[in-house]
Amino acid sequence: MEAREAHVKVWDVPVRLFHWLLVLLFAFMFFSGKAGSEWIAWHMRAGYAVLALVLFRVMWGFAGSTHARFSSFLSGPATCLGFAKKLFARSPAPYAGHNPLGGWMVLVLLLGLLLQTSTGLFANDDLLNEGPLAALVSKATSDRITSVHVWNFNLLLLLVGLHISAVLYHAGFMKENLIGAMFTGVKHMPADAAGSAATRFASPWLALALLCVAALAVYLIVQRPF
Amino acid sequence: MRTKLLVAATAIAALGGVSLEALAQTKPDVLVKQRQAAMTLQGKYLGPIGAMMKGARPYDADVVALNATFLENLARMPWDGFDASTKGEKSKAKPEVFSDAAKFKAAAEQLEAATAKLGAEARAKNEAGVRASFGAVAKACGGCHDNFREK
Repeated sequence: MEAREAHVKVWDVPVRLFHWLLVLLFAFMFFSGKAGSEWIAWHMRAGYAVLALVLFRVMWGFAGSTHARFSSFLSGPATCLGFAKKLFARSPAPYAGHNPLGGWMVLVLLLGLLLQTSTGLFANDDLLNEGPLAALVSKATSDRITSVHVWNFNLLLLLVGLHISAVLYHAGFMKENLIGAMFTGVKHMPADAAGSAATRFASPWLALALLCVAALAVYLIVQRPF
Repeated sequence: MRTKLLVAATAIAALGGVSLEALAQTKPDVLVKQRQAAMTLQGKYLGPIGAMMKGARPYDADVVALNATFLENLARMPWDGFDASTKGEKSKAKPEVFSDAAKFKAAAEQLEAATAKLGAEARAKNEAGVRASFGAVAKACGGCHDNFREK
């Protein structure tokens, strides 16, 4: 490991901002979802922000920088299995972007959040609050969707726990500082592994434009001006 | 002869009394339906007032007076449905309803008091008073759900 280390920039600003904003919002959603009926209005507002962020991230997964793209981090079963073996053997397997298992975790987390936010749109609290699309369905349907919203959150908690455990495993057993990289965007890795890390960074203006598109989409869903 | 008749009559009356008492015992699932129905109606009549308070719907003093009066009465209806016999029934009522009965009763009384105040203001066609007392009703609903109703 001491041989030659390269400092490689892998995460662009949009990915990093997305990640940490999502962490803050997730914590707030957790709190405001459990804190009681007086927090529901803020829970809903923050939920719109989460939905916009997730929609943005999906678009960035197609149009963003190299390591933000789904095509770059979703790999086949053989690659995943090979990586899992290395992982449990604690032998170094540094990846510039997401590793094969981490890549799938990104997708699963995004899908989980998409399910969570979209069910929230149809949910109700049996008081005066309901999601902006709850009016489109019957009360019974809204009640069922609310149950999914409640149960899927437990699933999300489990996934987040798994995600954090994996990152800590990398820090503890594989000497990879993934958390620091998500702050700075820079990974410290062996020079030979870094060689394959040619990264094309997409324009932050494109990110801003896509975020605006996502925000507009959420605005239209919530306000339903048509 | 007369004694025999009296015994028979007493026996019939006693039997009748027993069966009447059994009939008077409302079934637990009906009690659950009762309180859920009362809550559904509360939501039905609270909703339009809530929409008016949020400005999602224009204020209509007549609708508010009617709905608030219904609410005031409905607020007293669910509670005898939370009978101990319903503990095993499927519902969203938390066990605390029965284990912390004093607190539950206080929460129920809070709703009754808040809706009585809202009803009085609504019938007086006092919009400012309605707005001032609405918050306490919403708070009574939410506070009780937070503590005594499963999500």
